[in-house]
Formats: sequence, structure tokens, C-alpha cells
Amino acid sequence: MISVSNLSKDYNGVTVLKIDNLDIPTGESFGLVGNNGAGKTTFFSLLLDLIQPSSGYIKNNNIVVNESEEWKPFTSSFIDESFLIGYLTAEEYFYFIGELRGQNKADVNAFLKQYEEFFNDEILHQKKYLRDLSKGNQKKAGIIAALIGNPEVIILDEPFANLDPTTQIRLKKIIKELNEKTDTTILISSHDLIHVTEVCERIVVLDKGETVKDIQTSQATLEELEAYFNR
Amino acid sequence: MFKRFVSLEWKQFSRSSYFQKGLAIKILLVLAALYFIAMAVFAGIGAYFGIQKMLPDKNPVEVINNFVIYWFLTDMVIRFFMQQLPVLNIKPYMVIPIKRSTVIHFLLGKTTISFFNFLPLFFFLPFSIVLLAHDYSVLNVVAWFFSMMFFTLSVNYLNFLLNKNNKVFYVIATLLIAAGLLQFYGIYSITEPAGYFFNTIYNKPYAVLIPLLLMIMLYRVNFKFIRKDFYLDGAISKETKDVHTQELTWLNRFGKVAPFLKNDVRMIIRNKRPKQVLFMSFLFLFYGLIFYTQETYQEMPAFLAFASMFVTGGFLMSFGQLVPSWDSEYYKLLMSQNIPYREYLKSKWSLMVVAVLISFILSTPYIYFGWDIFGMIAAGALFNMGLNSFITLYGGVLNRVPVELNVKAKAFSNTQGFNPTQLLIALPKIFGPILIFYIPYKLINFETGIICLAVSGVLGLVFTNFFLNQIEKVYQKQKYKTIAAFSEKK
Repeated sequence: MISVSNLSKDYNGVTVLKIDNLDIPTGESFGLVGNNGAGKTTFFSLLLDLIQPSSGYIKNNNIVVNESEEWKPFTSSFIDESFLIGYLTAEEYFYFIGELRGQNKADVNAFLKQYEEFFNDEILHQKKYLRDLSKGNQKKAGIIAALIGNPEVIILDEPFANLDPTTQIRLKKIIKELNEKTDTTILISSHDLIHVTEVCERIVVLDKGETVKDIQTSQATLEELEAYFNR
Repeated sequence: MFKRFVSLEWKQFSRSSYFQKGLAIKILLVLAALYFIAMAVFAGIGAYFGIQKMLPDKNPVEVINNFVIYWFLTDMVIRFFMQQLPVLNIKPYMVIPIKRSTVIHFLLGKTTISFFNFLPLFFFLPFSIVLLAHDYSVLNVVAWFFSMMFFTLSVNYLNFLLNKNNKVFYVIATLLIAAGLLQFYGIYSITEPAGYFFNTIYNKPYAVLIPLLLMIMLYRVNFKFIRKDFYLDGAISKETKDVHTQELTWLNRFGKVAPFLKNDVRMIIRNKRPKQVLFMSFLFLFYGLIFYTQETYQEMPAFLAFASMFVTGGFLMSFGQLVPSWDSEYYKLLMSQNIPYREYLKSKWSLMVVAVLISFILSTPYIYFGWDIFGMIAAGALFNMGLNSFITLYGGVLNRVPVELNVKAKAFSNTQGFNPTQLLIALPKIFGPILIFYIPYKLINFETGIICLAVSGVLGLVFTNFFLNQIEKVYQKQKYKTIAAFSEKK
């Protein structure tokens, strides 16, 4: 689904990301881990064509992302709060995203129904604008909005951060279900090794912009990762 | 302690992003401030002689006193919309060992050092000096001058309360509207008793105690109000009112543009900054009054053409020049979502065109100045819709300054959306209508001038698709730069 070729990104002569080759097959749940500054967000930004690569390219379903916009209809993402429109209520935000993805109000309502448990009565009917919700609740709204309209590729940057424990567990369940029941390709970055090993079939470790490990998740993965980061 | 606060404030000021912008902008800002100061000084000196000339049998002080109530009322309204209150900054001081009262005194003191408080000084001081030079009683004039300053500061502190306390806001707003209505329907005029009041203050120097006590009282009320709420969930918290989901289904008739239009409408009514723009563009409606009422301009139709364009173009220009910037807070979302860029632009354009139409309808009272003038306004409106809208949108792309939606623009520290490119783009906006009108006017006659201006706008409307396509291309090209600029820390 996603293939990376000779990709690099420099800022003022300093290379912050350099991935020669990376292929993510359709339907994989892909985890990206690494310390601060490892290049996780840079990679996602390149994938979403929010920044320009210094060299190389990323193909999303055979579309070179910085040349055509055809990848947008089947790709959705939640990177940070700048993906929320602060002056909307959660419902208005979901309907807006729905309209962009060809879902009418009834579709969106039916879709949201599945996530009532995840919302825990803290998102819908709150009489509040998104900017006045807590960080965790903003995140919940953003993550669910990224699932609207059956996207084929979902990109979530640090989805577990700021969530309360119950919600973290529920989010893991949602991701696993998506992975099992649909052919959605899911890309997740995280600082939490336990969560990421639990939900991802494959984990890539980035360090200073380069891939240093590429692991198919197994029983031993968590230990391997912990050993790697405990240097 | 105060000294340390002041040094922190200075750092905040000198290190803020707007201050680190180009030298040219700083110079322009200083020039603008000097201009206003000079105008105030000039008005202060000129007022005495002007009044004496126009109303020779009246005492200039009395005339000023009769009208000064309007000054203070206007001051109050403008402050409410424009003055930024330094409230959120106290959060870091809450947990360190400084007395709360010190922080509050500093906070209130800081509001005193505002351009809004200095401007009146530059008017009343020269006016008072002229009075003294004309042998008015020193005691009376000095007491009167201080009274005016105390009133100004009272308005300053009242504004603080208005912004922070809904009860005070509703009471004052109701009183003002009631007074305005009574005056309008000629039932009761507040001008006379107000004039009498201010004259009494002048005639009885000890009456300076009234504004002084008023100011102290308002200061105390503010102090108590903040003291009581000096908690995270109190005075410094952002207010969160209950809000309701607005479907705005009536906008669905606009088809593909509808989702964006809905958002834009919500953005304007739910955020402080766009509301401010809305208020300012309403003031633009009165721009014509300056030009149409003065004999000198009647002989200079080029200026009238310019003014006519401004009457209906207020919202278009002040909103349009910040077009991608309005969405800067969530620009990454728009850029990675499945968005037809053209519809996005078209939504903004439609909004601007509708605003011109509304302004045009509101400008019908200008018929009073004759059909020539009104014809000009109509032609100006067409120019705005057909050409100005596109020029403004084009200028917006080159702007790339992030806008904080729910923060009021500070008067005189607002360089957001202001750069040399912006100035360049302003040239065709200003000189376009003048030239399009003036050349045929000179060569043929007045009517032809108006028709040419109108036709230029109609042509623009005919080629809407072409213009939108061109602008879309520029937007696409500037995409990365814009994203980078918008994600810079404010």
C-alpha cells in the first residue's frame, strides 16, 4: 500500500530523516517507535504531503504523494490538535469531516453509534466547543474523526498519549478490530512500547532519522525493544 | 517585586514574534502611532479655535463638555472590541511566593499603560494648555483636565469588568441601548444632563473628586473581583458557555460549497477576532460620510470613487486579506483532508460577495446625498464583487501570517496580516477604482465613469471561474510555505 524510496528530509544541511526503502503492505498495522527527534512525525508529515521531501518519494497506493492529490480520498489521519477545528462542537466536526468524505449526517450518526463506549459520554452532546474539551477528549474526537468514511489508510501520531487508561484499552480494541475485520492499513507511532507491541503486527524503530530495527511482532518483541531502548 | 514584573513584561514585549519582524514594519507602526498622536494634538489645539470660529457666542469648554459624553461612550465601545486584556499571563505567578494583591495591582496597573489611555491625554492636554493661554482660570482648567483623565481611566477599568463579568456587561449594554433609543425617538436626551454634569465639573473645581472617586471605586471593584476569583477556574479561566450544535441546514442550498460556508459562518460568530473584523467592517459603512459631506471633495470625484468603493468593501477587504490565515489553526487538517481546494476558495469568495451585497443594501441611506453618489456606491459594489474580491484573495495567499482566532487583535501591536506584500497588493485595490472611474470621467463624462467602473466589476464576475482557477494555482504552489508558516509558534 505504501512504499518509500530513497526518502530523505534535510533542514539546513542536517538530515532528519533518511529511509532508503520501506514497504507497508495493504492491511498491515504498522508501528513506528523512536525517541524524541527520531523522525516519526517528520515521516508522517511527508506521507501526508505536509512537507516536501529533500529527495526520494513516498507512494500511497501507487500514487506519489507530493505529485498528485489522489491519495486524499482514501487516506485519513490525526496527527495533533491542529487537526481539530476548535470552534466547532464535536458533532459539527464529525459532520464536516463526514461531508468531506462523502458521508451524510445519517451515515455519520450511524457510524458514531459504534463508538459510544469509547466516547464514554464525554464527547457528544457536550454543549462545548472542541477547544474547550480536555486534551484527552480532544484526542478521542480526533481519532474517531479519522475513522469516518472507511479510509483505506489511517495515520495516527501518538494516539495513546493523553488518554486515560480505560480509553487506552478501548482504543487498542478498536484498532485490533479494524485490523482483523477490514483491509485497512493502519500506521501508528507511539512512545509506549507495550501498547504498540500489542496492536501492531510490525514495528519499525527509528533513530536519528534512520530505520534501525524492523520487527514482525512476536512474544519476544517487547523484550527486544526494551533491551534496545535501555542502552 | 514590581521591578521584576516590569522586566518580565519588557522581555515578553521585545521577544514577541511581532516585534522581531522587519524594521520596515516597526517604522510604519511608530509612524502610525505618531500619526494618531499628531492628530490628537492637532485636534486638541485646533478644537478651541475651530469652535470659536464656528460658534463665536459659545464658550469652547462648554461645547466640548456638551459632547464629551459621546467621546467616552465611543471610547467604551471601541475598547470593548479592541482592547486586549492581559489576563492569562498571571497563571505562572499563582504558585510562586508572591502576594496575590501584588500580582493583581500589577495586572490592573498594566491595563493603565494602554494606547487607549494615552490618546485622550494627547487631546486634552493641548486643549487645556490653549485654554490656559486664553486666560481661563488655572484651577478650573487643571481640575477639569484631571477629571477627564480620571474618567478615561474609569472607562479603562469599567472595560475590564465588562469583559470579565457578564452581569456588568448586560447592565451597561442595556442602559446604553435604552439611552440610545430614548435619544433616537426624542423622548429623553442624555446629552443635556451629561453636558450639564461635565460643565458643573468644570465650574466647581472640587468636583474633580467625583471622577477620582469613581475611578478608585472601579479599581477597587476590579481588585475585589479578581481577588475573589484568583484561581485557575476563576477569573483567568477562559469562559466556557454552553453552546449548541448549529446545523445551519439552510446553507445546504449552496451545494458543494456548503460545508465550508457553514464552517466560515460558525467561525465568524464564534471567535473574537473575526467578530472584531465584522464590527470594523460595519464602521466602514460610514466612511462615505467623511467624503460626501465635505465641499472640497465634491470637486474631486476620484476621491469619491475611492470612498464609494470603501463603503461596501469593508468586510471584503478586512476579512479577505486574511483568507487562508483564518484557517491557520487547523490548516494541516485542511491540507491532508479530502478537500476540493476550489470549493474552499469559492466559499470564502461567496462570503465576501454576500457581505458586499449586504453592505450595499445598508448603504441605501446614502441616496440622501443624491443619485450620483448612490450610483457611484453601486458601481463600487460591483467593482468590489467582480475584481476587488479576487485581488484580495490573491493577496491573502501571499500573506501567511497565523491568526489566533479567539484572541482579539491588540491595537497597535497587531502586525498580523501586515507586510510589504500586503501593501503592494493594496495598490490596485485603492487605485483600481480611481483609475477605472477617473479616465473615462475626464475623457467623456461622469456617467461613463460610473458605467465603466460597474462594467469592470461585471466582467470580473463573468470570468469568476478563470480567476478562481488562477488563485487556486497560486494556493497550491504556496502550500508548503503556508503550512510551515502557520505551524510556527505564535
